[in-house]
Amino acid sequence: MSVTSGNILEVRGLQTQFNTLDGVVRAVDGVSFDLARGETLGIVGESGCGKSVTALSILRLIPPETGRIAGGSIKFEGEELTTLGEEAMKGLRGHRISMIFQEPMTSLNPVLTVGTQIAENVVRHMGVSWRAARERSFEMLDLVRIADARRRLDEYPHQLSGGMRQRVMIALALSCDPQVLIADEPTTALDVTIQAQILDLMLELKEKTGTAIVLITHDLGVIAETTERVVVMYAGRKVEEAPVEALFAEPLHPYTRGLMRAIPRLDIEADAAGMRPRLQEIPGLVPRLTQPIPGCAFAPRCGFATERCRAEPPPLVDAGGGHTVACWEVDRVRASAL
Amino acid sequence: MSEPSVLEVEGLVKHFPIHGGLLQRRTGEVKAVDGVSFSIGRGETLGLVGESGCGKSTIGKTVLKLIEPTAGRIVLAGEDISSLKPGAMWPHRRRIQTIFQDPYSSMNPRLPSGTIVGEPLENFGLSSGRDTDERVARLFERVGLRPDAMRKYAHEFSGGQRQRLGIAKALSVNPDVIVADEPVSALDVSVQAQVLNLLIDLQEEFRLAYLFISHDLAVMRHISHRIAVMYLGRIVELTTKRTLFTQPLHPYTEALLSAATAPDPKRRQQRKRIVQGDVPSPANPPPGCHFHTRCPYAMPECKVTAPPLIEVAEGHHVACLRRPVGGDPGPLSVPG
Repeated sequence: MSVTSGNILEVRGLQTQFNTLDGVVRAVDGVSFDLARGETLGIVGESGCGKSVTALSILRLIPPETGRIAGGSIKFEGEELTTLGEEAMKGLRGHRISMIFQEPMTSLNPVLTVGTQIAENVVRHMGVSWRAARERSFEMLDLVRIADARRRLDEYPHQLSGGMRQRVMIALALSCDPQVLIADEPTTALDVTIQAQILDLMLELKEKTGTAIVLITHDLGVIAETTERVVVMYAGRKVEEAPVEALFAEPLHPYTRGLMRAIPRLDIEADAAGMRPRLQEIPGLVPRLTQPIPGCAFAPRCGFATERCRAEPPPLVDAGGGHTVACWEVDRVRASAL
Repeated sequence: MSEPSVLEVEGLVKHFPIHGGLLQRRTGEVKAVDGVSFSIGRGETLGLVGESGCGKSTIGKTVLKLIEPTAGRIVLAGEDISSLKPGAMWPHRRRIQTIFQDPYSSMNPRLPSGTIVGEPLENFGLSSGRDTDERVARLFERVGLRPDAMRKYAHEFSGGQRQRLGIAKALSVNPDVIVADEPVSALDVSVQAQVLNLLIDLQEEFRLAYLFISHDLAVMRHISHRIAVMYLGRIVELTTKRTLFTQPLHPYTEALLSAATAPDPKRRQQRKRIVQGDVPSPANPPPGCHFHTRCPYAMPECKVTAPPLIEVAEGHHVACLRRPVGGDPGPLSVPG
């Protein structure tokens, strides 16, 4: 296992497809990105853009009855995951790569106490005794700042609040010191005050443990306040990638620009005279993924689109400073006002 | 906005009983709404914002008379509807309509969308037959759907289009008030913008009053004229949106605003006092001010006395013992 770069995870040309009654859905269509050690990478996009499927592909959790990784490569610490045996994958999941989901209630076992569930994972991966694993469970609950952690060990998931369940999920995910934590909409189901607590906790634990985080969300606010680098996805493809400051200072893809203009802003005083300025809509709908899309997937909704955009897929080009964008008309986009 | 209000709510209370034990005796109650008053004028949006369990949806259902209030008065277009029985309520229902978060669950999957949207017209005897079809076609156009989509079924529409159907249906009977409970929460941002713009256009065209319920502060700031912040069944602050966002007075409002994320990485550094802990159970709320358990500025008095909602400055109502009438609107100090 030779690790030549600082990247812990390298995804290249990932293609994940599902068989449906309407045909083959290209949910992820040639996505590449890197994750550096200890980094927080955001993946943002709307429903159906392939962000969650990307995460599930990394963990090889695509249900084999309906879906498959059809191409590309996923390297974790230099090791190819797309061809790794299922037993070896089981050794990785929850140990070196962990995942937390939007709804913790559906990923926690309702008939086991939270202490048992965390200990189970620790025993399985670390090969320690149940007694030691239970002590580890306590340490983890304490680490995620669950008050009265000793007593909570013996409680069941339904006895906890939503925010506390998500803390338990984080404790479980971090219990075996993973190198990568994939968080898929971890705060979407939570109230804002609880969301703030959980995001703070994740970042604080990242500092402590050095775990790299892939944060998947539809929420540009969460992206802006927690990540270092951002991948923007649309219709199964990566359309833009940039350091977080650069992305928000100068989004270059027309889709990213459209998203940013479409959200109501909390931080801008646009309502000085009680006015309600119009939000900018992105016209049209997301394309169906059952048909191959010849050109840029965003072209039918894009004000900059030309003949070439509809015919040829735009390559990702370097826009400087680690900022890449897949747009034929990027010079015109750049010249236009934000 | 200061003409006679079209919806007035006074001292609204809704308690849900909790049954327990072997005989399912009444063992307590959830005080979902605990003495709430507000009014909405024509063409005005009042936002109700708060976290899960604060009672905002219960208020929506109660003013719609989908559930009976325990106490309090609801006055719709000058008529007290609070104690009307379902039959007597019927003629008033046309005046107050609703838009749900998930319109799909409120639509009959076996009826074409045109029939769904036209049902209220026929139910209230406002039109029939071809006349209904024509009115529905006009409604479809007004909310941005093609009239030939009237033959399609609900499942053939996208999420945003379904919300347009829900809006068309609510609009069909020409109501005075629309209760919109999280109408854009399930939508992607690009579609959310389309629906919010539509709601604002329709409000201005038909002078609709909106009771807009949401947990999303940015959406609230966009669509509301005035905003009421709720915590555990009570309104803790009620004022114009501009005042609320620039000069919040209640510690809970301040906590909500500081916890909300904004799409600006530069904001990260200037973070932030975050309230810790969970919202207490509404079945067993803390005595005194409900927020005192999480409030950094709480005094011993706050644990005992429930602060009334008082007007501390013009149009600015706050329920906090540390915010007296004419008091200093500056930052509060942490006691001790």
